[in-house]
Amino acid sequence: MSDTYTPHAGDDRAADTDVVALLIRQHGDIRNLFDEVEQTSGEERRDAFRRLVRLLAVHETAEEEVVHPWARRSVPGGEGVVKDRLAEEKEAKETLSALDEMDIDDQRFLPELRRLRTAVQQHARAEERYEFTHIRRHADADALAAMARAVKAAEAIAPTRPHPGVESAGANVALGPLAALMDRAKDAARKAMGKG
Amino acid sequence: MPFNPLEQRGIPLDRQLRNWRELNVEPIDPDRCDPYTRCRIITMNGIEVEAVLFSHHLARHTHDPEIKRQLARTRYIEAQQQKAVNWLLPGVSSVLETTIAYEQVAVDLTAWVARMEPDPYLQQAYQFGVLEDFDHLYRYANLYEMIEHRKAESIVDNLTEVMPGRPTRYHHRDPYDNVRDPYDRTTVNPLSKLHALTIMAAEQQTMNFYINTGPTYMEPIARQLYQEIGLIEEEHVTHYESLVDPGETWWEQLVNHEYNECYLYYSFLEQESDPKVKAIWELHLNMELEHLHTACDLMRRHDGRDPQEILAPELPNVLTFEPNKQYLRELLATQMDLTTLGAGYVRDAHERFEKMQEKIHGGEAPPSDRVMAEHDDMFGREYRVVSEGEHPDPAMREI
Ligand SMILES: [Fe+2]
Ligand SMILES: [Fe+2]
Ligand SMILES: [Fe+2]
Ligand SMILES: [Fe+2]
Ligand SMILES: [Fe+2]
Ligand SMILES: [Fe+2]
Repeated sequence: MSDTYTPHAGDDRAADTDVVALLIRQHGDIRNLFDEVEQTSGEERRDAFRRLVRLLAVHETAEEEVVHPWARRSVPGGEGVVKDRLAEEKEAKETLSALDEMDIDDQRFLPELRRLRTAVQQHARAEERYEFTHIRRHADADALAAMARAVKAAEAIAPTRPHPGVESAGANVALGPLAALMDRAKDAARKAMGKG
Repeated sequence: MPFNPLEQRGIPLDRQLRNWRELNVEPIDPDRCDPYTRCRIITMNGIEVEAVLFSHHLARHTHDPEIKRQLARTRYIEAQQQKAVNWLLPGVSSVLETTIAYEQVAVDLTAWVARMEPDPYLQQAYQFGVLEDFDHLYRYANLYEMIEHRKAESIVDNLTEVMPGRPTRYHHRDPYDNVRDPYDRTTVNPLSKLHALTIMAAEQQTMNFYINTGPTYMEPIARQLYQEIGLIEEEHVTHYESLVDPGETWWEQLVNHEYNECYLYYSFLEQESDPKVKAIWELHLNMELEHLHTACDLMRRHDGRDPQEILAPELPNVLTFEPNKQYLRELLATQMDLTTLGAGYVRDAHERFEKMQEKIHGGEAPPSDRVMAEHDDMFGREYRVVSEGEHPDPAMREI
């Protein structure tokens, strides 16, 4: 892989006025982190995996709080589309928690990670094709922008970009366990959507 | 061991039909496959699409209903082969990812053919064309990072470099200058016929893919880039199809098509790293041997000639997907500023070219330039993969 670093969604210079464009980029960021975990080892892998867990947890939480409810309300037939996505997310989160408790040196770690990667990728493409397309069709510019702001607010509570050197155990403890992290992302998203 | 498809028999035609279970192939894993496996799939899909389309055209020129029926039977099998091959591509890939793989095919397939082509005029046609698809790869790679935040190297895997070729805005030539002179069927090396057919089929499929999938994008810059490059692929089909001698009879052309299918399936069977995909190449080779046999019979019957007169005595050296980085760098250093004039090539922009440029760009930057500007706005840099050092053309180095 080249040394060129692709900044995470929200950190590039895109206007971020369209929640769909933002989330599609984030799907790429998640895949990049899966690559990084697979291609590194030792401390580097542990660090990349921590960032992956955070980004994935916050991403799915933000979608659950912001875009799925909107699609359910405003897209014809949205109920069914969202139901399938939620089921996929629930499963992904469970695998994620199990992995989070596993050590990266555990023999089961890589096979489980790959299983998760495949599931997450299928889920992401399903969102893009069966949910996001409809959101773009039915949401006006204001709604797309408001949702983008809410997603970014949820993500701001847990920085996921690499900060070489500051990745201390302390910083991780401060973020707390996965469930607490998701709760805080949820609160931030709700607040940004004006129902906090 | 030399392989002569004329001396082999394959699976009888009435045993070639597959049921749904047999057609339900397992797709490759886009994150873990050999990129050249995907290239071979895309190539063979283009070849099978051409087999089907050519057979339709032939049927439309055929009076005898019995021969029409015979063509229909073989064509149905070609259509099944196309499904089995193209359905190896995974549903989780985005259109843009498949597009980048298409351009990787155009780059490494055309470069290899250019290297192996014995005829200097034909070789020049491939050298000229490959620098354009090379630039398309670069533009799409930048679009990909903008839309999906992914790098094209996750698809092409450092087998193919990603950097500017002949800039896409200069690919828009007056259609008059897109027509080349054909080879002479009576004197040309049989390998040259296979090369021309292969590249023509690949470019035709690329054109069809872009013009059908381009409008599925919602991002304005993506829609516009597909429109622009879709038009250039039209020029490429014109460029390559005009290399084929139009004096070949319909039956001669049919034999060449079937022979080429044998050649390519045999070639890919030799190289394939994925055992499930390899099994498909092997099965299809055994089907093609029979198609070839039938085509040879038709040629003998209708043209009163022996197909051996027009074919190579044995299968040529296998067509190979492999990195062509150094070869491409040589071309980048020497042929960037070429354009076409009539059936030949010149270095200077001539009047007809300038006029076309003026009209099509309408005084604005084309999508292929705007994609780079938008990418720069977003990342403050461009995306390239230069594994072998700086761009060979100093003017094309990143500042
Ligand atoms: Fe999701
Ligand atoms: Fe998602
Ligand atoms: Fe075929
Ligand atoms: Fe191209
Ligand atoms: Fe092309
Ligand atoms: Fe065939």
